Amino acid sequence: MKAVIVNNLSKSFSPDKKAVDDMSFTLEEGEVFGFLGPNGAGKTTTVKLLNGMLSASEGTCRVFDIDPAANPAQVHKLSGVITEHAQMYDNLTGIQNLVFYGSMFGISENNSNKRALELLDSLGLTDAKDQKLGAYSTGMRQRLSLARSMIHNPKILFLDEPTSGLDPESSQSVNNLIRNLAKDKGTTVFLCTHQLRYAQEICTNYGLINEGALLATGDLEALRQLIFAGMTITIRADRYPEGIHFRKNENGYCEIDVQSEDEIPTIVRRIVEGGGKVYHISARKLSLEEIYFALTRRRKEEKEVKR
Amino acid sequence: MINQMQTTLIKKDLWEITSNKRLFSVLLIVPLVFTVVMPSIFVLTIALTPMETNDFKSLLNLLPQSALTGDLRHMMIGLLLNNILPLFFLLIPIMAASVMAASSFVGEKEKRTLETLLYSPLSLKQIFNAKILASFILSMMVSLISFFIMIVVVEIEIWLLMDIMIFPDINWLILLLLVSPAISLIAITLIVRGSAKAQTMEESQQRSVFLILPIIILAAGQFSGLMLISSWLLFASGIILTAIAILAMRGSFGKFNYETLLK
Repeated sequence: MKAVIVNNLSKSFSPDKKAVDDMSFTLEEGEVFGFLGPNGAGKTTTVKLLNGMLSASEGTCRVFDIDPAANPAQVHKLSGVITEHAQMYDNLTGIQNLVFYGSMFGISENNSNKRALELLDSLGLTDAKDQKLGAYSTGMRQRLSLARSMIHNPKILFLDEPTSGLDPESSQSVNNLIRNLAKDKGTTVFLCTHQLRYAQEICTNYGLINEGALLATGDLEALRQLIFAGMTITIRADRYPEGIHFRKNENGYCEIDVQSEDEIPTIVRRIVEGGGKVYHISARKLSLEEIYFALTRRRKEEKEVKR
Repeated sequence: MINQMQTTLIKKDLWEITSNKRLFSVLLIVPLVFTVVMPSIFVLTIALTPMETNDFKSLLNLLPQSALTGDLRHMMIGLLLNNILPLFFLLIPIMAASVMAASSFVGEKEKRTLETLLYSPLSLKQIFNAKILASFILSMMVSLISFFIMIVVVEIEIWLLMDIMIFPDINWLILLLLVSPAISLIAITLIVRGSAKAQTMEESQQRSVFLILPIIILAAGQFSGLMLISSWLLFASGIILTAIAILAMRGSFGKFNYETLLK
């Protein structure tokens, strides 16, 4: 069964602007799906549509074959959600908050308590468990929200900017938790973020969005195919052979695009045979960030052509 | 029926209001004024004002002749206890229900905890029912406790000052079991209906003014002797208010969905 099916989904809050514009995509069970785009691109709106908090203007969506608009409570049983506006109670302690939300999902107080302690431990919050939430830092709150969203062992997690406000160390523990959850328990993760580098670290598939529209979906290789599937080689040598078109980057190194790594030895050999010395050589493929910017640029150009 | 998850929510709401010092002090002070301070002033006035003064006589003149029997002071205490205090007493359930409902609905929105609650597997109606019930329970508890404190204080005072005991009549029974629950529900409904639009608790509590005003007018009527609430009239108003409360509550359910609540 597909974890999420979205078909031609649109949502407008005003007649002239669509927050979500005709999106279609699917998520397999156990996938860590990065839903990526800048603030205001429509990520949170999509999460709310998938949890029945908003009703679609057009199109449909299903979460584990349940229509969230018709049966929001059924979807909530299976899902754990973090959004910026879904906070917990400042006057309750960390553990009290988790036990309360556990009980709200029908888990007995005893089991909620056990599960809460496990989660607090894995997120490095054990020492702060008896502190009131009001005394928590932004990063601690964010981690507790993550624990809250997992208290009922959901089949799917919707995480809207889960690492905003986290220091690198906490981000790391959150990442590990998300990765293990998908790997060991088969939990599907729908992760919204504007931090593309962060997403590249943990996601298996991506949906890139801009201004409410889906630019592309797929794994990293599939996305690279859309722009440039090859790799860029960076070289520093004291002389470069003629006939190869190098371009200089901002560090004074030379760059050249190749289709595959098989071309690298040929380039090195030609430099050496030409009497040059090679001081540095590295190869890299397009990053998610580069793909994203190339796609938004392309979309912009297409829009301008249409005008 | 209320399920386990709703019970958890009700307990949380009740715990939250009692642990919030500012809101809890409102819940304590207002009933204290209407059940201890104000009745004591009235009792003292009746006990200590010489009956021969013009003020006292003019007050008596306003009362229907049928009420003027027996000892005048006893009669005045009887009127105070069974006609005047009940009206002021109604302000207590209104206040308690409004404060609790505002904290429970709009307060959650203000603190950004409402959205988290909406992601639970309870339906919107179940969440609303639990929250309405929590407000209702609190309002009834505050009312009943206030009533008992008031009766104890007033009885002790009149016994010490005038060596008499006058007990509450059937008006109080009607008030506690019918009018006060109905008016609590109306106050809760008013707040709940406004909760989608209101962004702060204070803004939302102001709606209860619509209920307080008619009661103040009625109380003024009692004082001026224009109308004395009879038991039958009280009973009839209780029935009408209950009907209004049920209709208003049913009507407000259809108005809400997640989208309007989270705006």
